[in-house]
Amino acid sequence: MTSGEQLAADEAAIDVPAPPRPVVDVDTAGYWAAAGRGEFVLCRCTDCRHWLQPPMERCRHCGGDTAFEPATGTGSVHSFIVVRHPSVPAFARLLPYAIVLVDLAEGVRMTGRFLGEPADVRLGLPVTVGFERLPRAEQSAVVFAAAGPGT
Amino acid sequence: MHREAAIVGIGRTAYSRASGRTPAGMAAEASRNALADAGLTTADVDGVIDFSTGDSVRAMQLGYALGVDDLAFALDVSGGGNVAAATVATAFSAVSRGLCEVVVVYRSLNGRSGNRYGRGDVPPVALEGELQFAASSGFIVPPMWFAMFARRHQEIYGSTAEDLGRIAITQRAHAVPNEHAQQRTSLTMDDYLAGRWIYEPFRLYDCCMETDGACALVITTLDRARDLPHPPVRLLAEAEAHTFGGSVAQFGDLTTMYSAYAAPRLWSRTDLRPADVDVACMYDCFTFTVMATFEDFGFCGKGEVGDFFASGRATYGGDVVVNPHGGLLSEGYLHGLNHHTEAVLQLRGAASGRQVADAEIALVTAGAGPYGGAVLYGVDR
Repeated sequence: MTSGEQLAADEAAIDVPAPPRPVVDVDTAGYWAAAGRGEFVLCRCTDCRHWLQPPMERCRHCGGDTAFEPATGTGSVHSFIVVRHPSVPAFARLLPYAIVLVDLAEGVRMTGRFLGEPADVRLGLPVTVGFERLPRAEQSAVVFAAAGPGT
Repeated sequence: MHREAAIVGIGRTAYSRASGRTPAGMAAEASRNALADAGLTTADVDGVIDFSTGDSVRAMQLGYALGVDDLAFALDVSGGGNVAAATVATAFSAVSRGLCEVVVVYRSLNGRSGNRYGRGDVPPVALEGELQFAASSGFIVPPMWFAMFARRHQEIYGSTAEDLGRIAITQRAHAVPNEHAQQRTSLTMDDYLAGRWIYEPFRLYDCCMETDGACALVITTLDRARDLPHPPVRLLAEAEAHTFGGSVAQFGDLTTMYSAYAAPRLWSRTDLRPADVDVACMYDCFTFTVMATFEDFGFCGKGEVGDFFASGRATYGGDVVVNPHGGLLSEGYLHGLNHHTEAVLQLRGAASGRQVADAEIALVTAGAGPYGGAVLYGVDR
């Protein structure tokens, strides 16, 4: 059971605060829709083929059209923190947990909760993308786990 | 039209944890105090500029509260400490270009009793732009962002918790004689290391003091300044950098900050060098902000800040006095406009118990992470 599933299981019994809510806009709707299906996509220029994060209507490099394309969902840890202070109530019961800043294989970075012991995180750690839907969350969130052998 | 301008007045309210007042009321008090300090009155004011994150009073409203029905110049700059230097420099520009004669610059907020920057618990939290991607991991408050920078620096350059601690301890020592400082009890390394974890690698004393209060500057022409009570403080150079769209996640080198871009720009606009700086009011929302920007502005090499502070080079009798008022860490988090009031006080030679001897040149930096700026001030005696 993931921590998100654990939280979901507890939801009926406990008044769990909602996590901060992403305000989905027309530039990002495709990303969130895919995330809801458990698919990891990123915005990409259909002309010069650069990957773009955050998503944008036109490419920031060449001004070309953009679309969401499946991404590898692999990367390595660029940096990380260990959250010890319950400043965001929805996450208070998960303390301590790590947030990793990940260099994705596509050349852009993304942050997410690390599923695993904070002590296991280090710079350069290979990670893979997963999804978690916290109680009362409107969107599925990217999370990262250490890449297993062979991935 | 081009006229040189100067800072002629500084003012503040009390700094507290619960003002019980509106930002409008505090801004008016700080502005009146700054005008009185300048030997001017509210009737002289024809320009007002401020910065805020929607937590303050508009420039036009502040003008009205001072009894000014018609402002020739009023501007609300959107942003926190990142835009403090830009806001002050814009006030200089407005006077220099003849848009107004006497401009008040203020920052006023209930940063402790009102909207707290360090917290993400004011429901419902809804995040737009790139922050929508941070929302779902709760990566939404500044101490998290700059702890992420600090971790990378520690890994790449071997900087330590003790190195960050020296910054907190040095600035706290500076705050002890400052009657306006929120924290005046000296801090030991044991105290620092015993501070509770916030977001590793940040402990409690790595984080600044959220504060209620206001401070203000008054700027007018240099010609007029020469007839006023205090030595005019002049803007010698200014530079900014707004990089990577302000994105923490996409910022290039997390062991540096905006200052890696702004510092070369600043030093290219003056013959002054870091060794000429007597007072460095380094923006210090967190200890690591001082570390990264101090390196970027060229006071020492990468990974050398800990030794620089440990050997007394960042305090009285050393190379440069860093944040003689105690900074945001110990005086209070007025989003860095209090760094400007401190620089003015030091350059006037009016900082009494914390005066830096023969202070002629001050560097004031603004911001952390991907965007910010800096100014160099000098004084006409």
